[in-house]
Amino acid sequence: MKISLDWLADLVSWDDTPEVLASRLTAAGLNVEAIETYEQSWPGVVVARVVECGPHPDADRLSLCKVDTGDGEPTQVVCGAPNVRQGLHVLFATVGTVLPGDFKIKKAKIRGVESRGMICSASELGLGEDSDGIIELEDAPAVGTPADELFGHRDTVLDIEVTPNRPDWLSHLGVAREVAAIYGTKLTPPPVIKPPANPGHGWKVEIEDYAACPRYTAHGASGVQVGPSPRWMQNRLLAIGQRPINNVVDITNYVLMELGQPLHAFDGERLASDTITVRRAGRKLSVTTLDDEARPILADDLVIADGDGPIALAGVMGLANSEVTESTTTLLIESAFFDPGLVRRCSRRLNLVSESSYRFEREADWDMVLVAARRALYLLQEHAAAVISGDAVDRSDPDRRPRPDLPLRVHQVNRVLGTDLDLERASDYLRALSLTVQPLSPQVEAKTVNLMVGVPAFRRDLLAEVDLIEEIARVHGFEFDGRSGRQASHHAPVHTREDEVRTLLRRWLPAVGCHEIVTSTFMGRAQLDALGLAELDPRQQCLSVLNPHHGGETLLRTSMVPALVDVARRNLNAGAPAPVRLFELGRVFWPEGDKRQGKHELEHLLPEEPRLLMIGIAGVTARGLGGVPADLVELTGLVDEMAKLLRSELRCVPGDVEPYLVAGLQWEIRDARDRRVGTVGRLGQAAAEAFDLDEPLGLLELDLGRADLTPAPVTYSAFSRFPAVKRDLSLLVPAEVTYEAVSGCVRESGGNLLESLELFDHYTGKGVPDGVAAHGIRLKFRSAKGSLEGATVDRAIEQILVALSEKLGVRARTS
Amino acid sequence: MQDAIDALRGRGLSRIESAATADELEAARIDLLGRKGEVTALLRGLKDVPADERPAAGAALNRLKLELTDAFAARERDLRGAGEAVTGLDLTLPGAAPVPLGTAHPLLTVLEEICDIFYGLGYDRGDGPEVELDYYNFTALNFPDDHPARDIQDTFFLSDKTLLRTQTSPVQVRVMEQVTPPLAYVFPGRVYRNENADASHSSEFFQIEGLCVDREISLVDLRQTVDAFVERFFGAGFETRFRPHFFPFTEPSVEVDMQCVKCGGKGCGVCGQTGWLEIMGAGMVHPRVFAAAGYDEDAYTGFAFGMGIDRIAMLKYGVDDIRLLYENDLRFLNQFRGVL
Repeated sequence: MKISLDWLADLVSWDDTPEVLASRLTAAGLNVEAIETYEQSWPGVVVARVVECGPHPDADRLSLCKVDTGDGEPTQVVCGAPNVRQGLHVLFATVGTVLPGDFKIKKAKIRGVESRGMICSASELGLGEDSDGIIELEDAPAVGTPADELFGHRDTVLDIEVTPNRPDWLSHLGVAREVAAIYGTKLTPPPVIKPPANPGHGWKVEIEDYAACPRYTAHGASGVQVGPSPRWMQNRLLAIGQRPINNVVDITNYVLMELGQPLHAFDGERLASDTITVRRAGRKLSVTTLDDEARPILADDLVIADGDGPIALAGVMGLANSEVTESTTTLLIESAFFDPGLVRRCSRRLNLVSESSYRFEREADWDMVLVAARRALYLLQEHAAAVISGDAVDRSDPDRRPRPDLPLRVHQVNRVLGTDLDLERASDYLRALSLTVQPLSPQVEAKTVNLMVGVPAFRRDLLAEVDLIEEIARVHGFEFDGRSGRQASHHAPVHTREDEVRTLLRRWLPAVGCHEIVTSTFMGRAQLDALGLAELDPRQQCLSVLNPHHGGETLLRTSMVPALVDVARRNLNAGAPAPVRLFELGRVFWPEGDKRQGKHELEHLLPEEPRLLMIGIAGVTARGLGGVPADLVELTGLVDEMAKLLRSELRCVPGDVEPYLVAGLQWEIRDARDRRVGTVGRLGQAAAEAFDLDEPLGLLELDLGRADLTPAPVTYSAFSRFPAVKRDLSLLVPAEVTYEAVSGCVRESGGNLLESLELFDHYTGKGVPDGVAAHGIRLKFRSAKGSLEGATVDRAIEQILVALSEKLGVRARTS
Repeated sequence: MQDAIDALRGRGLSRIESAATADELEAARIDLLGRKGEVTALLRGLKDVPADERPAAGAALNRLKLELTDAFAARERDLRGAGEAVTGLDLTLPGAAPVPLGTAHPLLTVLEEICDIFYGLGYDRGDGPEVELDYYNFTALNFPDDHPARDIQDTFFLSDKTLLRTQTSPVQVRVMEQVTPPLAYVFPGRVYRNENADASHSSEFFQIEGLCVDREISLVDLRQTVDAFVERFFGAGFETRFRPHFFPFTEPSVEVDMQCVKCGGKGCGVCGQTGWLEIMGAGMVHPRVFAAAGYDEDAYTGFAFGMGIDRIAMLKYGVDDIRLLYENDLRFLNQFRGVL
């Protein structure tokens, strides 16, 4: 809400700079977001008299004039306005003037004739809409007078953030009330007409639905002359960003901005009956609103109608069929109170937010309904020659009850605020805000009501005791030492396993070279399609946003792969050195996943939100042991290390799972219960091309929610202090036999002295027969009872070699 | 006596220095420090020194003995190490760790850091879904249907009953449905607003919510908690202030400002010349929220607060565009090495 200080000063006085006023309003809860200067000023524009006016020698529509600006020789100027003529007093922009819109006046030749300046129209000066002709000054002001002396205006405007609970601050009067409370000054309400003694003015009002429209008033005015509104009113409206139109429209706008009550002016002669009815539309139809838009309305929408049909959408906007025009002479002024929810639903459905609907949906001020109309009539009398023949027709819900007084317990005030206020102070604070206070019990103790508080109609936000407590806090201020009620906490926070796992991973992964990323929840259909998932894959089922913002993606991600690929690609393209290692701990959204359990009956509508860990290593072309790509060797190694970090069982088992990973080059990650909880693999070519990624990318995906990450208990067990005996074996392993089979066989046959085995070499090629790989394996033997004899170890080795040969056809390599 | 000590120091040090083999050095040690050596001889002579000079002379002798012992040890290391000394390598060449250090994301690091502060104040951590029921995001938080208060937050809707949560506040009610006071919780997480992105707005960002409920919690507890947080996170010396505001689920509601972290309150570009930065919204839990959670409205009081983690992270690290936090550009992230 923009507040003109020039305007505000009519209603209340204060003695401070705009900056101090702004900070005191902010402290009271009217957050002043900006202090702006509004200035109407045209340096270089002066009053001039047209001393000569004749046709341009070379152009039909142009005139060649000489104007007297009072500084000697008349100035020659070419003018295109149809209304220019000798003897007129005009506003003249001299050479060098800069007009609104950064329009610079220069010496020019127009159709071969020199022109030194410009005679101005209202629109060129930003004084109004009229661009058809130049301004004709009345009363012949002295030539040479600066335009600023006639039309200049300077104002300071506060831009105030008004929260939805305070519609009363959506007006100059509402802000003036707050200023009066802060400075202890008196409020001066603006002048209104005295209600005429004779009742009625010939119009009748019927309200069919009091719930939708608890109050409707109609005022009549005749003899109206439509024309421009007075300069001061235009200036005030312009200062707060409103466009002046004509006196009638400007006056209704002015009253709205001054008192916060929306008014509507109908052209009385264009109404088809003497009776206007507030009713539901009754059927679907299309209407044309004042902004010349055709709007579909529904049977349930509230309208104002005459004998022929709707003439206004209640609280939202009037219709073109009853609009005030230049020839209007009779007015019907509406001032009403509509149901806020009804106005809001209509306004939102039509996507039509007006100054009226904005206020009605925040609830009108019951007591302002008549006052605002009388204020408008006062201004219409003064500035539009209106004649008021009779008093208003005022219809309202006969069953409407006045708002009840609110009980206040001072003990509760102190309990919530931590203050130590007595009855007196609390009462004073409330009175300062124009609330009425009726004392009950003087005993300040729990559960005792001390005051009954009467709330004026303009405070629609005060509905319960707690609202009064807030008001007391606002006046008391927040700078006080008070009572703390928090017991010293003996509570040590409980960390869930999920918290622990997240913390461990976030600290460990950077140490192994990974960068944590945070990517969007939103995903495009093309990104999902790039993964090539099966039609029946549950990740194909995405939630989508009904109202995405312009250009935004609409789907909620079911996979974090696309986002990680995108980050890898952008970083490589930006020249990041390979390998780029990335990880993300994030959520995906699976509408087809496990249903949430919760207290609310609709909980099943929510998707499963699994927490995933994604790791990606991009840009690695090298190969590791056995020709496996080095990034995948690293990732499967990370799974082993992560299992140790989390003291849980996680292992990689070769197997194809994901369509977007290279077949034959992927693993399932299995947990302690042997369930598949993730995958490791290389992004396949089709997906890489769809993502426009040129470099290889290894991916690890782990479902942290589903995986059993219960940590193994930490219990010390005794270890042998006797030395280990190490033996290296070089084995010739047929291609179809896996390392897993070899190592399994070794463990099984190695006896209980075999402590560990480790693959230190894997070789194919020269010196090794085709179809065979050489495995270099280091074995460690150790006994808990004593140092091992060489012969004992030899026997164990012998057993191992026999088993390998018999079960797997693996032989020891002889050098 | 002093002259004799000085003379022995000169003679002894030069003899140690000039010893070319271990044997020569050992011979020197016996001559100087041995039982019949020169130092021992001087020690024996102490008894002839006048009594008033004796303590000083004794101290000087002791010092000489230690000096010579150090010189022997140093020379011994030199003689023994001669074989392994290396020359001709460029020791300014860079080292190489197995992998270069990665980074944790500063946004989430700030989130964890804030949580850690509240753990220290006895808070637990709670969590709720990002796809939320309209009920928990709005209705239970005292946003009536068809009320303009709902316009404060532009919402992404998924259906007429589900949406992307616009705030972490819905977790308040979810937690209170499960837990009986006294309780103190923080709930961090991602939230969504349907607005166009610019340097200070993102349609996805992170918030942290705090909730503390007991029988006699007051606004003063809120103030003390906020001040403790600001002091711990930003350092001592920043004043805070409460400004009245409106949130449907707290009453009274306030916005919390702190003195600008950049200029300390004098006014600068970061704080828009006001000297103050808005860091959170807060207030006393509205009785209707207690009612929605199934509490007896009058039995408890409590406070809640919520702050944008992105903004706090930007203030802390001087990041001037929120989009940097979501681009994941390594040229940005690498600046946060060691921030865990």
